[in-house]
Amino acid sequence: MPGLTADSGNALVPLSPEAHVSVVYPLHHGLKPPISRLSISWSRGNALRVSVFRELPAESGDSDGEAGGKVVQVKLGVADGEVDDAQWRRIAYGSVSPFALLQSRRNSVLALSKMSMSSSPYHPDWWEYVMEYSKDISSLLDNAKSLPNSVIDDPKTVLKKVEEPTCLKAAWGLLEIFYADKESQAWLPEQIVDWLADYDILFSGTQATVHSKLVEFQKAIVRLQTIEDDPRYWEVITSALAVGWLEIVVKLLRLHGSYQLDQLSNRETENGLVEAVAILISKMPRMRPELEAGRLGECFKTKPDFIKAWEKWRAQITKLDCSSFWVQCDHRQTRDGLRNMLQVMLGNTNNLCTSTCHWIELYISHFLYVRPFTVGLESMHALAQKCIQLKPISSSHRLMGLIIGILGENTEEERDNLGGISIEELHRLVYAQVLSSHALTWQIAPIYLTSCMKQGMGLLEVLLYKQPVQDNQMLLKTTEICRLYDLESISSSIMKIAGVYHWKHGRKGSGVFWLQQARDEFRLNRIAQQLFDFVGRSISDESFKQWEGLIELLGSESKIAGGLDFLHKYRDFKKSLQQVQVGKTTDAAQQAVESLISLMRNPSTPQRFWLPLLHDSLKLLSWQERPLLNVNQTNLLLNKLQELSMARLRPDFIEANLPPQALSSVRLALATNLGRAILEE
Amino acid sequence: MATTKSPPSHSLQIHRLPQSQYIDAVRFLPAFSGLDRFAVLALFDTHSSSPSLQIHSLPKSTPPSLNLQSSHSLPKSTPPSLNLQSSLSLSSRVSSLSLSLSAHKPLIAASTFSGSLHILLLDFDASVQSEFSVPEKSLHVGAISCVDLQESGVECVSVGEDGRVNLVGFGDGSRLTYRRVWDSDGLVSYTAAKWASPTEFATGGFGFGLQWWDLRKPGGPVSQFKGNWAQRTTSGIVHSIDIHPSRKHTCLAGGSLGTVFAWDLRWQQQPIILSGVGTSEVATHSPCESEVWEVKYDPYMQTSNFGNVSSSRILPAMLCSEDGILAVVEQGEEPIELLAEPCAINSFDIDRQNPTDVICSLEWESIAILSRP
Repeated sequence: MPGLTADSGNALVPLSPEAHVSVVYPLHHGLKPPISRLSISWSRGNALRVSVFRELPAESGDSDGEAGGKVVQVKLGVADGEVDDAQWRRIAYGSVSPFALLQSRRNSVLALSKMSMSSSPYHPDWWEYVMEYSKDISSLLDNAKSLPNSVIDDPKTVLKKVEEPTCLKAAWGLLEIFYADKESQAWLPEQIVDWLADYDILFSGTQATVHSKLVEFQKAIVRLQTIEDDPRYWEVITSALAVGWLEIVVKLLRLHGSYQLDQLSNRETENGLVEAVAILISKMPRMRPELEAGRLGECFKTKPDFIKAWEKWRAQITKLDCSSFWVQCDHRQTRDGLRNMLQVMLGNTNNLCTSTCHWIELYISHFLYVRPFTVGLESMHALAQKCIQLKPISSSHRLMGLIIGILGENTEEERDNLGGISIEELHRLVYAQVLSSHALTWQIAPIYLTSCMKQGMGLLEVLLYKQPVQDNQMLLKTTEICRLYDLESISSSIMKIAGVYHWKHGRKGSGVFWLQQARDEFRLNRIAQQLFDFVGRSISDESFKQWEGLIELLGSESKIAGGLDFLHKYRDFKKSLQQVQVGKTTDAAQQAVESLISLMRNPSTPQRFWLPLLHDSLKLLSWQERPLLNVNQTNLLLNKLQELSMARLRPDFIEANLPPQALSSVRLALATNLGRAILEE
Repeated sequence: MATTKSPPSHSLQIHRLPQSQYIDAVRFLPAFSGLDRFAVLALFDTHSSSPSLQIHSLPKSTPPSLNLQSSHSLPKSTPPSLNLQSSLSLSSRVSSLSLSLSAHKPLIAASTFSGSLHILLLDFDASVQSEFSVPEKSLHVGAISCVDLQESGVECVSVGEDGRVNLVGFGDGSRLTYRRVWDSDGLVSYTAAKWASPTEFATGGFGFGLQWWDLRKPGGPVSQFKGNWAQRTTSGIVHSIDIHPSRKHTCLAGGSLGTVFAWDLRWQQQPIILSGVGTSEVATHSPCESEVWEVKYDPYMQTSNFGNVSSSRILPAMLCSEDGILAVVEQGEEPIELLAEPCAINSFDIDRQNPTDVICSLEWESIAILSRP
């Protein structure tokens, strides 16, 4: 669609230029050709619904036994290779509870701050909650499988084998460092150092990195006799030092040949220099609260303490650099290699630049050895720009985009082009849309949508209306969400749709149930007319059992049933009439008469049932023992009969399926009864 | 709000096993081999839109007696895992699953949303020995809501929202025969069914209605239970029925609004309500407020005080619900909550040979296996 890319400047999410590549998606519709028509519409998410219609032979109709058409789904796009669909859903499921907890904590923190009238909107505990949330999510992003740790510590294994981390986790790590971990803002540079140590491997795919150099060297290490003679040894060691992987550096240094017992005596000075550098490295001052066990460096929490130690450390390096022992060291590679390392530690920018591969590595080395106090996004951004200039990137990595984005943008700023919503809401809406696009995750979307003040509820309504109503279990899952968020009107609309759907598909009972649940009197009245037609045709004494269940469902007349309460009364009447047939007692007959009168009085009794009702009651009207109907009752029935005779003249009158003399025999019975009743009174 | 006794959590073991597929139903296979136990999963792979039936073996939990010598340390049982034994792809998603033993071999009946019925006879190694099926549109118009196999496994009852009640038999073991017991012509929809005896079964449907059928008395249900009992203000659907072999006169039903009630045929229209928010009196005892998807008598709970239970008292029952609750309810007692998940629990089963163990399927594509102390 060229039109779309042209004005992508207005789009919230800019379209990537890769969209120009055309992809062919084969359709498997399995229909016999010829295909006459295709219809394409959007389905869930990025799936298309393609309806394929066959051209049917004109004469034979659909008699060739083949389907006339088929609907197939086509999933567009390719999945993220890193995280498969199932894994992605697992992350989505797992993040619901932490999010719900954070939201409820947020609400209580806000309520607290309102009460105390404090100027700061957030409680001091708030950032702890945010970090807890961030850690919970981060743990979900771990790769499920982890490699078993080797018990034997091989001195020649400088690089521990780890499961390749995901970009997703790396990205979350960055967000945590910059936005969530407010406690550690003072130690931001060291956090980025740690971050790169974990994720440098991710950049190895597109270009050389310190990590990839180490991997290469690790392969060669077993074949090397005198390791210090190999220029790669010094290169790798300096690179690792530049990015602050001190443990690896010291481990590599201890592989130096001068440490071997048989060499120690004649390489004493050389070994002393190697060890001096190793000690200096392991004593490197670091501006951070703590280091994990086994990691090298000395921690300083406050800036003054750190500066003092930093100056002292650099003085020691300078002193070593000027030492006279270098002249006594006759192994050239060792001498040059070690002095190179000292230059890195002293922050010589040329050395830093040559010993690093990627601009982010150069960037990290600046934090470690040149500007350990870099604070503020602005200066960090400027430094990043400088590093990119020194080490231009051939192909951009998506994590790089994120880093530059974080450093370069001021997220606090309000933006006008977001349609009046905050960036927080925008991200939640986008995430909720992604969740909504999958049949298994849409149920999670409401929790995010309801946390979006401006547009959330509107989108939630749309989402709920889009859910299929055919299956009761699905329908109930949808209405349960309505119940949770007090969306009664949506719930009843959905149930109305379901009711009509089931009604139309012949499931009358289920249709009536859903319309009752929706309290839709209008539709219940409408379908009542159709139901009466059906009753008129099918209701005989034998088939009444079929109706029993539906009538039970309709419940007592106090419940909402539209005109359907007629059926209830009709059933009672039929029942008492049956009693009369069996027992023939006057009491039962009297009861049947009461039912008849109540039916005839009830305005919801359809006119077309009047005559059949009276015809069914002939026996009651001409009861042997005594007249069962009094004068008033008989008059009522006669009036109804009169009304019926008038109605018969109208063209839309539906004639009941009764013997032709039905009307006259009813009239005669009523007249007889009237006579007897008058006499009795 | 619902109040629940929480179980001693240190002794209840819960293991969650992600499946990467939606689980439509889960059941334990009745024990037929002493060595292994098996579970049947009805799955739906959304990526390829392919439904399947899978049989998994899972190690038996160590009986408590074997742990006595190490009572001071944690029980060293291996965490349960599901190991796929065999898989069968289906043309439509499973709407209901019922299992039984026939001539000591397990039998699986699976009904689908498209209306077909599949009956699998398993061999002693849990592989599929033979498969029979009734194609769609033969038994029901549209989906089959529920199927239930007889204990002995001779006949299977199927019900649907189309209002039909069918019996499927496989008497001679070579092919299926079926006959219609009743057709309400869509006027009544049936959503649940359960055998009570070789000739009687119960069904349930909309409006909390229950029906009692006796094959010796054809021509409709022999008894009906009106769902709209006095105090109710709202109605609902029966999703699941259970009948205890020793209490054939009582029909236990679970459905909408956290409702679990028992219908005693001897006291026709007076239900015994065990749980539910629709009625005022038991609202405080209700462990859940949403749809009760399944309900089953809990043989584990009854062993403790079986002796002094009168025959009119309802035996303890387990339920699972849309609001993520797996709990045991007992007449006049506070419910015991076993699981409270952030997502729905759609089906569960209790291991009949080892009633401490419960398997359940969660909305978020995982199986949970519980082992009670």
